[in-house]
Amino acid sequence: MSANMKNLRYRLARRFNYEARSAGLFILPVMSVLAVVAVFPIVYSLYTSFFSLKLTRPHRVPFVGFDNYTKVLGDELFWESVLRTVSFTLISVSAILILALFIALLLNETFRGRRFISAVILIPWAIPTVANGLLWKWIYDSGYGALNGLLMQLGLIDKYVTWLGDPGKTIPLISNAFVWKEVPLAAILILVTMKSIPADLYRAARVDGANLLQRFVHITLPSLKPGFMLVMIYETMMAIRHFDLFFLLTEGGPADASHVISWQIYVETFRNLSFGTGSAMSYILAIVTFALAYAIIRTLGRKI
Amino acid sequence: MSAQSTLFSERAEKWRFKSRFSERTRNAVIFSSSLILLVYVLAPVAWLLSSSFQSEAEIVSVPPHWIPHEPTLENFDAIFFQEFEEVTYDTRRKVDPAAGGYIPSTAKDLVPSMWNSFIVSVSVVILNLLVGIPAAYAMAKIRFWGRQASVYTILTTRVIPDIALVVPFFLVIKNLGLLDHVLSLIITYLAVTIPFTVFILVSYFESLPDELDKAARVDGCSRFQTMTQVFLPLALPSIVAVMLFAFLTSWNEFLLALMFTQTIASQTLPIVVASFTSDFTISFSFINAAGVVAIIPPVILALFFERYIVSGLTAGAVKG
Repeated sequence: MSANMKNLRYRLARRFNYEARSAGLFILPVMSVLAVVAVFPIVYSLYTSFFSLKLTRPHRVPFVGFDNYTKVLGDELFWESVLRTVSFTLISVSAILILALFIALLLNETFRGRRFISAVILIPWAIPTVANGLLWKWIYDSGYGALNGLLMQLGLIDKYVTWLGDPGKTIPLISNAFVWKEVPLAAILILVTMKSIPADLYRAARVDGANLLQRFVHITLPSLKPGFMLVMIYETMMAIRHFDLFFLLTEGGPADASHVISWQIYVETFRNLSFGTGSAMSYILAIVTFALAYAIIRTLGRKI
Repeated sequence: MSAQSTLFSERAEKWRFKSRFSERTRNAVIFSSSLILLVYVLAPVAWLLSSSFQSEAEIVSVPPHWIPHEPTLENFDAIFFQEFEEVTYDTRRKVDPAAGGYIPSTAKDLVPSMWNSFIVSVSVVILNLLVGIPAAYAMAKIRFWGRQASVYTILTTRVIPDIALVVPFFLVIKNLGLLDHVLSLIITYLAVTIPFTVFILVSYFESLPDELDKAARVDGCSRFQTMTQVFLPLALPSIVAVMLFAFLTSWNEFLLALMFTQTIASQTLPIVVASFTSDFTISFSFINAAGVVAIIPPVILALFFERYIVSGLTAGAVKG
């Protein structure tokens, strides 16, 4: 008996060792790659943010402590860019959620041509942001663009409008281009969640006499929570850090109208060549993004 | 499909729940929303396509010609065959910005930059699979100390904004002498793609039954054999989805490529295309043709592997 126990324990230990060893071996590559390409840069970035590192003055790199942070946080332009990022993110993410919900509802039905539509909606998702940028820049073009041409032919405007040149319209217009590209993936994520809703729930609700609206509010929406949350976190992260369209469509302009945080970081780092403050800003952005993702998970109350 | 039941439809017991009237309304709603959706998605692309086939004279017409009246291939010709042409009176607008509708000499960079994009994307896909699959398998099926923590660590790295990685990457790559080298892009794109790869694969592996794992182990498979012979074939949809995501992300990436590339030795397609958009002397129709060239490969890939995207995500990513 005791020999048996010993044998078992020995085997268990050995088995555990093998499990732990193989798990370690399997995870080692990914962890080392990420250590180099993600953990190291972010630590290095923290380090840089405590120095006054300017490429215009490469040989003197004094330690300045939290000066970069106080400088950034005391800068009015920084807070204005924060505000613009917030409005861009709010507009984009809410539009994405609503549109994606409708598209998912449509694609969840069975009808002729559904396969075709679900394939075609992937096109915006697949095209490069650069193509997306030039596509919308060309549509918004004040001289020869499609938007002006269309609205003119429909008689909705009587002279051509300079769309991107109007500070009040810049953020919503860029947001529209962003939403167009992001909606497909969001719709698929929500559709995938929708498909996992058991048919019995709907059947039972029908038996109980629930109408369309009641079924939607009491079955569809609550069951979609995980999908919504994933989309919200993902798209918020994407919108907050978004850079490409601001670079391609307006370069932060007109005036400061599309001067968002990512653009501010770009200008500070690569035009003013001030890597210290640039790093400090990136760090603030990283922390805020992280906090937001965490907050969304906590408020919607489910772990991924 | 026989027992389908969704928000709108009740297939199994049609006779009981559905009147002819509601069937008709349902079809009308579905038809009209499909139409709106198709226009929303396709109209911008169609406009890009249409204007890439127009000549510079036609593209500036007011109101715009929705369908080219005199379709021409001259823009595509400039992209693919420019280097064989001599400067003559007819081709002068390709060399002289003052002639209007200028086609830049960098037009010939588009094809090499496509090749760069291809090299970078394929390398990133291969590296993703090599490091991603074992890690995902271990995190999904092997119970070990620190399993949950490693999943979270990997997800957290994706929360870091790309722009925060740019500065440290830039300094390191400069010191390694890798600026303007495709290797710098391959390395940095791993940071962007791997977390997503692992996330999708972990969810997919988790959705496969544990019993398979146990059975294979009892039959004497090593961990490695269990992964390669039992789980890899089963996870094929998610592996294809992951490959597609990694490829498209690398093919489309802009910010990092903008920072780390300088010449055509490493510039990727998005960078070359973007270099046209900021130059006002360049022909609009030529820029649009460059845009069309840039979107064709990823769109073909996405359409070809469309079903894997949904099925690859279905089992995993969004589980209730």
